Amino acid sequence: MIGRSIGIRHLVCGSCNGCEHEMNALTNSFYDITREGWDLVASPRHADVVTVTGPMTDAMRGPAHETIDAVPRPRIIVAIGDCAIGDGPWCGPKPSGEGAGVELNATVSVRGCPPSPDAIRDGLRAAARQLDPAFAGDTESNMNNQTR
Amino acid sequence: MKSQQEFVTGDDFKSRVLDECLRAVPLGAYAYGDDIHYAFIDAGATRVLSRTLGPGRQADAVSAIAPLYSWDEREMHDDWDVRFDDLPDPRPLRGIEGNMPAAVTAAGEGLTHFVVGPVHAGIIEPGRFTFSSGGETVVHLDAQLSYSHRGVERRLAGMTVQEAAPLVARICGGCSASRSMAYALALESLAGVGLDSWTDLARLAILELERIYNHLADLAASAAGAGWGPGFARGMALKESAMRLCALACGHRLLFDAIVPGGVGRTTMLDSDELLRQTNTLQEDVGRYLDALFGNASVVARWHGAGKAGRETLRAFGAVGPARRAAGDKIDVRTLHPYGAYRWLQVSVALAKSSDAYARCSVKRDELHDSFRLAKEALMTMRFNAPTPALPLAVVPGLAVGVVEGPRGTETVILHVDDQNRLLRIHVISASYRNWPVVARAMDGNIVPDFPLVNKSFNLCYACADR
Repeated sequence: MIGRSIGIRHLVCGSCNGCEHEMNALTNSFYDITREGWDLVASPRHADVVTVTGPMTDAMRGPAHETIDAVPRPRIIVAIGDCAIGDGPWCGPKPSGEGAGVELNATVSVRGCPPSPDAIRDGLRAAARQLDPAFAGDTESNMNNQTR
Repeated sequence: MKSQQEFVTGDDFKSRVLDECLRAVPLGAYAYGDDIHYAFIDAGATRVLSRTLGPGRQADAVSAIAPLYSWDEREMHDDWDVRFDDLPDPRPLRGIEGNMPAAVTAAGEGLTHFVVGPVHAGIIEPGRFTFSSGGETVVHLDAQLSYSHRGVERRLAGMTVQEAAPLVARICGGCSASRSMAYALALESLAGVGLDSWTDLARLAILELERIYNHLADLAASAAGAGWGPGFARGMALKESAMRLCALACGHRLLFDAIVPGGVGRTTMLDSDELLRQTNTLQEDVGRYLDALFGNASVVARWHGAGKAGRETLRAFGAVGPARRAAGDKIDVRTLHPYGAYRWLQVSVALAKSSDAYARCSVKRDELHDSFRLAKEALMTMRFNAPTPALPLAVVPGLAVGVVEGPRGTETVILHVDDQNRLLRIHVISASYRNWPVVARAMDGNIVPDFPLVNKSFNLCYACADR
């Protein structure tokens, strides 16, 4: 990673598609994350950060773990939305899981149903800080990275 | 929406269902307890044909003749223990413990198979697409979804009708308001209440705003599918403006909880001058965008003939919404069985003939123009009435069917409610659930690189199809 210019891979684990609408908004001309030096990458092998949404479903658990395993280290997992954090409307009994971010050990969480594009961008900035060794002692990155 | 229910006994249930399919618009089928139910809508009424299962829970598969019931009956078989022995496609509809059944592929010399998904390269919901192709040409496509299956219907059963409302709004992000409206219509018919004109107009404005942001996203993605980057960028910027309009109107960019049983939710700015002014501005911008998009000869040439799903295919699969109207079939719940303010604000139903990507895009273009007209008319008219809070509903036990024309077509919510205000059974049939099998058939004979275009010209959701 050069100067926090992260590659982001998005992984949908049973989300209602609301979070995906807001993730997609990051690329429109209002939010345009390429200005941050960020890119949404097509393969997990190109990713520094994986954003995950949804409560996790039985059907997605296998493919989700395979995707995460394909991401080179170091990598940061960001839970996007209340479902992924484990606090959403569809977390719970089978075939739903406890939250994609909970099951995949996300270290950054972005709340909201769905979170706004601004909140998601803040979460991604937190992920970039966690990845950047120069900022390892940064107080912001020690704040549990809860973004509201 | 009063629903008539008829119990059919004896062996002629299947032929009664088939007769009804020819007469009315089939919505779908489901099982509840010891009964199976097939729901229909036609001018001014919804009807449910029901049959009580015997001790062996045996039933004849209607999908043996009418393929539109293939998913419904496989779902009844897998999840609700109905025994169909003659299902044409007996594979489980959903993966069992995460294992998806094998895809159907075409066999023959020179054919290759490749699989896309369930994890996709872009920001797309999960689905597994298995292509059989000879060179560039797709011979067969098997679309297997259900990766987003969360067990929604079982989760909602037992909740009170009020507790379930915010969850119904969150089954699917892209058609939330339409589903909330269908749920509200079903409950209001059980409560026997009609709402005041302010609420009806507010709901119409909300539903048309939902259509506007969805159609803009669909057209932008169809421009991208044809390889026109600027058309995609401008379209997605306009979608963003439409979502901001939604937030201004109802406090939520995707209109979650904007429509609630008995009324509307947050109504802060629905009757403001600012909302009307911004709607006007967006309408002008969208008009210019549509002129540029449909004036781009290379885009339109790429759309023509791509992803053609013939009229007979659409009918056999019970396709709904813009995809069905793109073949000239005038099926729009807003005029077939008008609800709320659609009873007096006239919808002009957009039609096309060629049932290809161009036809679907042109239907959405015409609907965008009409949605702005309807939304503005509603926003202007509602100023003459005072805002009203949501009515408390005294729901009587029974069966109710709510049907709404969402951005992608017929959105149905069917409820069985008990005398404690609790949901005994809720069944959700989304437009995407009806139309997904058609997407696969629309790819037959198309080239592989046109799949994004064909797929995006339908732009169906996965979450409400998987539930």
